[in-house]
Amino acid sequence: MRPATRRLVAFWVIVPAFLGAVFACAIDPRALPFTGHEQLSAVFLLDGQAYFGHLEDVPWSGTITLRDVYYFEDASKVTTDLPLALVKRGGELHQPVDVMRIRRDKVLVVERVSLDSAVGHAIASQRAVDRAAK
Amino acid sequence: MNDAVVRISRRSLLWAVGGLAAALLLLALVVTGVVARAADANTVASASVMKTQQDAAERDIERAYEQAVTQVHKVRALNLAITAAQADAITLKALNDLKALRHSGLVSLGQVLGLAAADGEATATAAEKRFDQAPLSAQPAPSPVLLAPRLYAIAARMSELATQLSDQATAAVTAPAATPAPTAAPSPSRTPAPPASPSGRP
Repeated sequence: MRPATRRLVAFWVIVPAFLGAVFACAIDPRALPFTGHEQLSAVFLLDGQAYFGHLEDVPWSGTITLRDVYYFEDASKVTTDLPLALVKRGGELHQPVDVMRIRRDKVLVVERVSLDSAVGHAIASQRAVDRAAK
Repeated sequence: MNDAVVRISRRSLLWAVGGLAAALLLLALVVTGVVARAADANTVASASVMKTQQDAAERDIERAYEQAVTQVHKVRALNLAITAAQADAITLKALNDLKALRHSGLVSLGQVLGLAAADGEATATAAEKRFDQAPLSAQPAPSPVLLAPRLYAIAARMSELATQLSDQATAAVTAPAATPAPTAAPSPSRTPAPPASPSGRP
């Protein structure tokens, strides 16, 4: 094989194959940008609080970032089906903006939320309500 | 003296600069998350899910109404200090207020769900009729639904106000009967007494 051909093969076959193998291991095919499904995450903290939203987890950062954040609230005194309610973060007294940074060492568990779960349906319904209000 | 010279072709230099720029751009996109956010899908509930949510929210409103009405009826059934006519008037007012509150809650629900005003009224009236014919207490427990935050806010407010109304009615009905005002007995008027010790003032 001529050196030029060898370089061509290395550049156009081996390198893309290697990169493809790496990305295939690291990327969830159900959550590909523009084509995949929504990726909702649940972040459980050491103090027992749980937050739901879109997670941005950059390995070299000391914090993780949640956007479009929801959390549970006690609803035992309300006549709902369940003794807890889902609340969208942002209506508190300090009206936080839609970004929440959480110290990584305070996180107990991070889990994927199924879109067909009760939480997934409630969040999707809230978006439909927001859309209807516009 | 021989100077070592590294010759880099212009093409290689361009490749290196281009590669570096691409790597920096990729890094910037990853760190800022701009593309990730733009590409992130946002699921919106389907019509069937919204119907489930609406039904659950209507049930929650009705449940608050029924609990408050039950409390008012239970208190009315007690032996009361006030007259029957007074108790009936207070009970009737409380029940009318609770009905108006339920209607208002159901109309608010329709508005939040994007119904037009007339449609919201019609939906609320239909729901009221349905619940009056078949109260929730007589129905099997449905599978529990976690409400969307906005719908939960309506249910929570309804629950709070219904409790307030029934508590007010309870307090009014169980208040002690008004006794006739005592007639004023003649008593010697008190005259201002002089201070026990004379003041030093003139």
